[in-house]
Order: sequence, then C-alpha cells, then structure tokens
Amino acid sequence: MNIKFLRKPPATEIPFIIGAPAMIWQVLFFYLPLLLLALSSVLQFSQLGSFEGFTFEKIAFFLRPLYLKVILSSFVLALGNAILCLLIAYPLAYFLACVGKRHKNLFLFLLIVPFWTNFLLHIYAWFFVLEKEGFLNNLLQGLGVIAEPLQFLNTPFAIMVMMVYYYLPFMVMPLYSSLEKIDMRLIEASLDLGATWGQTLRRVMLPLTKRGLKAGFFLVYIPSFGEFAIPELMGGDKMMFVGTVVANYILGDETGSLGAAFTLVASILLLLSAALLYFVIERLIPGKQHG
Amino acid sequence: MVKSGKLGYYGTLIAASCTYLFLYVPLIVLLVFSFNTEPFPSPWKGFTLKWYHALFSASHLWASFLNSLIVAICATAISLAMGIFLIFYAAQGGRIGKFLALFYGNLVIPETVLAVGLLGFFTLVSIPLGLTTLILAHSVLGLGFVIPIVYARFLELDYRMTEASLVLGATPVQTFFKVTLPLLRPALIVTGLLVFIVSFDDFILSYFCAGSTSQTLSLYILSMLRSGISPMINALSAVLLLLSCSLVLLFFTISKKARTQIF
Repeated sequence: MNIKFLRKPPATEIPFIIGAPAMIWQVLFFYLPLLLLALSSVLQFSQLGSFEGFTFEKIAFFLRPLYLKVILSSFVLALGNAILCLLIAYPLAYFLACVGKRHKNLFLFLLIVPFWTNFLLHIYAWFFVLEKEGFLNNLLQGLGVIAEPLQFLNTPFAIMVMMVYYYLPFMVMPLYSSLEKIDMRLIEASLDLGATWGQTLRRVMLPLTKRGLKAGFFLVYIPSFGEFAIPELMGGDKMMFVGTVVANYILGDETGSLGAAFTLVASILLLLSAALLYFVIERLIPGKQHG
Repeated sequence: MVKSGKLGYYGTLIAASCTYLFLYVPLIVLLVFSFNTEPFPSPWKGFTLKWYHALFSASHLWASFLNSLIVAICATAISLAMGIFLIFYAAQGGRIGKFLALFYGNLVIPETVLAVGLLGFFTLVSIPLGLTTLILAHSVLGLGFVIPIVYARFLELDYRMTEASLVLGATPVQTFFKVTLPLLRPALIVTGLLVFIVSFDDFILSYFCAGSTSQTLSLYILSMLRSGISPMINALSAVLLLLSCSLVLLFFTISKKARTQIF
C-alpha cells in the first residue's frame, strides 16, 4: 500500500447530498435573500403585485445630493472609526503581544468580557457617563475644567465614542494575532541599530503586521458603514446615516422596496470605497504580505 | 535595552492602561449605580438590593431572556450540525475546498444588509416573523463562523490518527465517529460558544426579523432604554456581565485545549 492512498481516505461513493445541507442553507438564506434584495430594487410591480417590468426609478431616487450626503456621512463615520480604532488598538495589541505577555490571558479576558456582553448595555453605560449630570460632567466639573455641564449626548462625539468602544476588539484581535507571530528580535535589532520608534514602526512592524492590520481595518470599516443602532441611540435624530435611513424605509409602511434600493446603492458604494481603501493601505504600507 | 526601547515600553504600558480604563469605567459606573437607593441622576444615597429584587420579578424580561436563549441554542445547534455534515463529507474524501468561499461573505457584509435581505425573503415566502425567522437568520450568521473555523481545524488534524484507524480495519465512517469527531470536539465547542454568544447578544438581525410578537432580550433592553433610565437595567447588566465572564472563562479553558485560533 502506498502512503498517498492513506493520506486521504479512499473516496467512497458518498453522495454529495450528505455535505450539502450547509450549502443549501447558505444559498437559501444568504444568497437568495441578497439576490432578491437586488432584484426588488430594479423590478416594478403593480398595486396587485403583478410584474410590470424593470425600472431604475427607485435607484435614481437615491442618486440625489440628499442621499449621497447620507452615504458620505456614513463613509466618514466608518473611516473615522476604523482609523481611531487602529490608533488605539495598535499600542494595545503590542502591549498584549509583548509587554504584558506574562499576564496575557488576563488581559485578553478583560478585553473580551465587555465584547461578549449585550451591546445595548454598553450604550446604556455610556448614557450614564455622558449625561448632563453624568460621570464625565461631574468629573470635569470636579477638576475645575468646565464650569457648566456640557452636552455630550446627541452629538457626533457621543456617536464616535460609542463606535470606538464597540468596534475596538474587532481591530485588536487580528492585530494581536499578527504581532504575536513576529519575531520580537527584529524590533530589538532595528532599535539597537539606531532606528527610532517611528522608523521601526514604519519599516519593520507595520509591514510585518500588514495582514492583521488589513483584516482589522475592514472588520471595523464594513460593519460601521451600515451601523444604525449607535447613531440612532447616541446621536438623536439630527444626524442621518445609511443604517438609519435603511431602517426607516424598511420598517416604514409601503416603502420596503425603496429601502431595498437604497441598501443596494449604499452596498455598491461601500464595496467601491472598501476596494479603494484596500489599495490605499497597500500603497501606504511597504512590503509584501507577511504574517 | 536602549533608551528608545524603554520609552516604547512605558508608552505602550500607559496606552494600554488608558484603553482598559476606557473599556471599564462605564461598566463600573453602571455596576455601582445598580446598588444605589435612588434612581439616576441622583448621586449616591445608600446601598440597596431592591433593583435586583425588581429584576428577578420582572416576568416580561425573563420571557424575552428565554426567547433569546431558545434562539441562540437552536441557531448554534443548526450551524454546528451543518458544519459536522460538511466535515463528514470532507472526511470521506469529498472535496469541499472550492465551496468554502461560499461562507466567507457572512461575516463580511454589514449585518443590516443581510437583515434587510432576509426580511424581504421571509415576507415573500410568507414565513411569519417570529422565533423561527430569528433562528434561521442567526443560523446563517453562525455558519459563517462554524464552517471556516472547524474546517481549518479539520485540515490541521494529524493524518496519522486516521491512517492508523483505517489501517487497523475501521471503516471510514467508524473512523469519522471514533477518531475525527472526538479530535474536533474542543474546536466544535469553542465555535459553538462563539455562535451562541453572537446570537444571544445580536441586535440588528433581531430588530428586523423578530416581528412584533416575539421579543428577544436585546429588544427588551431597547424598549427599556427608550422608556427612560431605570436602575433595573443596571442590575441586569451586572447579571449579564457575570454570565459573559463565565462564558469567556469557559471559552478560554476549552480553546487552549482545542488550540483553535478564533481571531
């Protein structure tokens, strides 16, 4: 008997149907709904529900400055969130992978616990902190920084804080697993040979952690683009984002297919912007893909 | 180490401490006020457990808790079962590598988009919104975790184990149930925990696909948030934090055994 035969169990005549449930499920409840979503935004139905032909009216409805502005603000929100998360997560991931290595399980534990708790409770917790008579205002007044309590809730600041709070672990985890794999002697060597921290970061660490960085960036960027609970609850009703507009249309009466059309338009622009950002990151960080 | 190395050391130490403060100050404030006799925004007045009493006698809350539990358990079971079927097929020599890419979209697309698509689909095929639709929606999300993680672990398994089993006369099916599946068990448990918690805490899919009759815990908390601040939510936070602490601990203990890299 040769080894090759043994490496893979002999292909028995097992019907494909045994492995198929997951794929059927996936096609039925993932691809089909998405296809329907795309279709329903270009198909026209009469009042009675009979098919009347194709239309781009619903799509064109959203290609107006008002809605493009909504998409732009989601873009700014998502990009800002991804960049802030990156800036906060990188030192933390480095800390987890190198400095705090001895107690890394404890630190990882502390990072994941809030992440695994219902996120509406986080929003509630931040209400407590950001309220007019909340923790932050009391603290700032106590320190004498401000005389009158500031309005934090229902401002872009509150949205941003909550976004970073919620999405931070999505950035830390991939960065941490990239940083954990690199040989720390490379960083020491770079520092010993006279490079500054900035140079070491740019020429050694960033190229070596590029994969984790990209993974984290898009794990934050893409869901933040469609986020609606955080802007809705922390931002009041003044600011409109893609998620809030979609929710309003979809859950409104008779506007479902318009909501679908807007989802389609926003998704396409999201994909384009993600592709663009991908190339920007590729250009900004030198080196081939590693670790 | 050189001077700049020290700078980096203390720099990251301070940065990490600040980040942990940022993560935990809101939660600690929340917990402290769950013991305050007067509801927020009153300052600290005195210690009480009355909000916890109120919490445990709020029957609507526990009904929605139960709903979330049912949905999470069913969604986890469905996605794990389908994962096992797929791995079984792969272990018998079926080639699934090229199908794997099918499952990568689940975690990448914004949940809002999936929720909108599913809502349209459920309306079209007239499945009434409720726990069933929630279970279906969450199981799709679960597949996105189960299939890639468990399949990756399956590829890493020591082939000599299955070889030995086959050489010693076990059939491929026996080999799967006596060797492959037990070796995969820790990875399956860890992934199952992950899917459970994602489903249990999910808000967006529930918001769109739950309909008006069935309320999950997330939706219940949302309605409480909208009706104003009540210290009962603080008490609930304490209970849920305790729950997630124990789940994360369990997750850590098993994932060490599973040597599964989740993130």
